[in-house]
Amino acid sequence: MPPPSRHVTAHALAEFCRARALLRSSGVTVREAAARTRLSPFQFIRRFRAIFGDTPHQLRIAARIERARRLLALTDRPVTDVCFDVGFASLGSFSALFARRVGMSPTAYRARVRAATPAHDRVATLYPGCLSLMGGALAILEKQNGGGPLQTVAAAGDPSPAAQEGGCASS
Amino acid sequence: MRIKLTSLMVDDQTKALRFYSDVFGFVSKHDIPVGEYRWITVVSPEGSGDVELALEPNANPAGRAFQEAMFAQGIPVAAFEVEDLGKEVDRLQAAGVVFTKMPTQMGPVSIAICADTCGNLIQLYQPPSRC
Repeated sequence: MPPPSRHVTAHALAEFCRARALLRSSGVTVREAAARTRLSPFQFIRRFRAIFGDTPHQLRIAARIERARRLLALTDRPVTDVCFDVGFASLGSFSALFARRVGMSPTAYRARVRAATPAHDRVATLYPGCLSLMGGALAILEKQNGGGPLQTVAAAGDPSPAAQEGGCASS
Repeated sequence: MRIKLTSLMVDDQTKALRFYSDVFGFVSKHDIPVGEYRWITVVSPEGSGDVELALEPNANPAGRAFQEAMFAQGIPVAAFEVEDLGKEVDRLQAAGVVFTKMPTQMGPVSIAICADTCGNLIQLYQPPSRC
């Protein structure tokens, strides 16, 4: 028999999914989330990471940054308000975390998304999530290889900000 | 027309490439940055190398809702064939992979289901031995 810790029942899996949803959307603490699964915080965090690939804390931070990205791109709320809206208590730590994950400051991110796409296209630009990334990638590959007959295709992946987003909006 | 490429939505592409190569044992074929995402495909060293699996960013809330609902219901979104299911499951468990279904005989095939740490459940199956 395999060690039981490497197997979760359907019921336990559903509980972990509920815990994840709570951690993302509410102020529930890791200890409280763990209690719902009847595991010690240590066991909960270990199992959570084995299932979802991130610790509860990492997941919560990622969810906050994702919400911030969306608010910055789609609304006019000031950066400070966005910071508090998504659950951070300090603008400094929000900006630092945002920059580390997204690669630029919240203000720079907002400016870039807005410069790159008209308002009605922004949702699609935020979430490429489709096979359209292939076009941009293969165009870049062609360029790196010195160009071949497909060089003209690279126009679809030109380095303008809109194309850089690699979004479905452009396809 | 050929089936050359299929894809999986993953919640984090860096994590996914690590899991699919280091844990599952696939090999990266493409890994090209496109804007803030990457075009990543992997191939199986045990296959012909002709079929690529793209690891796509699942940033879209619609895609994520689908992914999470399937996951919570215990439904796998992809299936990979293995030669010896018991051996594979032992190997993956030792690497820390969590299974939601241990090897089970389903008619002529045996299957097991595990979490890929990127938001998906993956079915592994051992086909009936060929006569």
